[in-house]
Amino acid sequence: MKMMYGMLMALTPAALWSIYAFGPQALVRILAGVGAALVAEALYQKLTGQKITIKDGSAAITGMLLGMAVSISTPWYAVAISTAFGIIFGKQLLGGVGKNLFNPAMFGRLFYLFVFPDSILPWRRPFDLVTSATPLEILRETGETAGVPILDMFLGRIPGTIGEISALMLLIGFSFLVIRKFVRWRIPAAAFSTVLVLAIIAGQNPLFHFFAGSLMLGACFMATDPMTSPRYPKGQIFFGIGIGLIIMSMRWWGWQTPGVYEFTEGTTFAVLTMNLFTPYLNKKFKPAPKK
Amino acid sequence: MPESSIIRFLSVMVVLSVVGFGWYYIGFARLKRKGMDETAARKQANQEARKYSLIATFLYMVAMVSVVGLFL
Repeated sequence: MKMMYGMLMALTPAALWSIYAFGPQALVRILAGVGAALVAEALYQKLTGQKITIKDGSAAITGMLLGMAVSISTPWYAVAISTAFGIIFGKQLLGGVGKNLFNPAMFGRLFYLFVFPDSILPWRRPFDLVTSATPLEILRETGETAGVPILDMFLGRIPGTIGEISALMLLIGFSFLVIRKFVRWRIPAAAFSTVLVLAIIAGQNPLFHFFAGSLMLGACFMATDPMTSPRYPKGQIFFGIGIGLIIMSMRWWGWQTPGVYEFTEGTTFAVLTMNLFTPYLNKKFKPAPKK
Repeated sequence: MPESSIIRFLSVMVVLSVVGFGWYYIGFARLKRKGMDETAARKQANQEARKYSLIATFLYMVAMVSVVGLFL
């Protein structure tokens, strides 16, 4: 439980920045996520005759993560429905905390991308809320990373989902998790190393890839979920490498259907795909018992 | 909520239900044939059905978002 509340504290700097940058509308979406997560979990557990466990903080984390992983243009009800879906189907259907296969926040986010794609656009710039392209859309259009000031991306003055815009605030929160040993740091370390190597090979600025999109939020806060990520160090490294590979593939080639919304980011797909390999990685890299 | 979102939502529910119930009945019959006790077979088939319906839903949503673009 200590870890869960530590995670909520770690997300707070990025959440506060998003409220400062996007205004009260960001707070509405984060609260919609947290509220829906708590209600969905309590209701499901009540209806199925289980002990209500919303006080452990895990549902609140899912809600907060999902509330921070949507566009400011998304209506609050889309956030609430997606969060409830993530909690019920991504977490509770398999028996709750520790038994889930997928990260519930990411499962809810995939549902959001599939069911509410029209609500993602337009992306808006922080502070003035003017419609603007995200750094990854600029990369897709121009093929270059030079057009976006790296400092703006680091500080959080770029368009993007509510909670992903400020790499600085996410890093502050992540540092807290690492210092308190609440997080499996090898996963983001492997993911960022993979992104670094691939960006250098492609002749692109690695810092652009670090700070753009939801890599920082996804790799540091979602991929490290102790219930859905590998338990052992070697498994965690392979898990992180897989995430980095899928994310960079998506950024370069994407999955596009002509005439419809084009996804330029792959963190959701990357984390959920690697979640499927977690049982295998746990089995494969289980240390031999000491004699 | 836009009509297209409702259709997509319903399609997710259909995939979940069809794979879930389908897997349950097929899995239960398979486990029974193996000689497993009925209560244990039901329990295991139920767990498997939930797991594989979630995996199928994940694959369905990814496929729809990425390759087919159906309803988008």
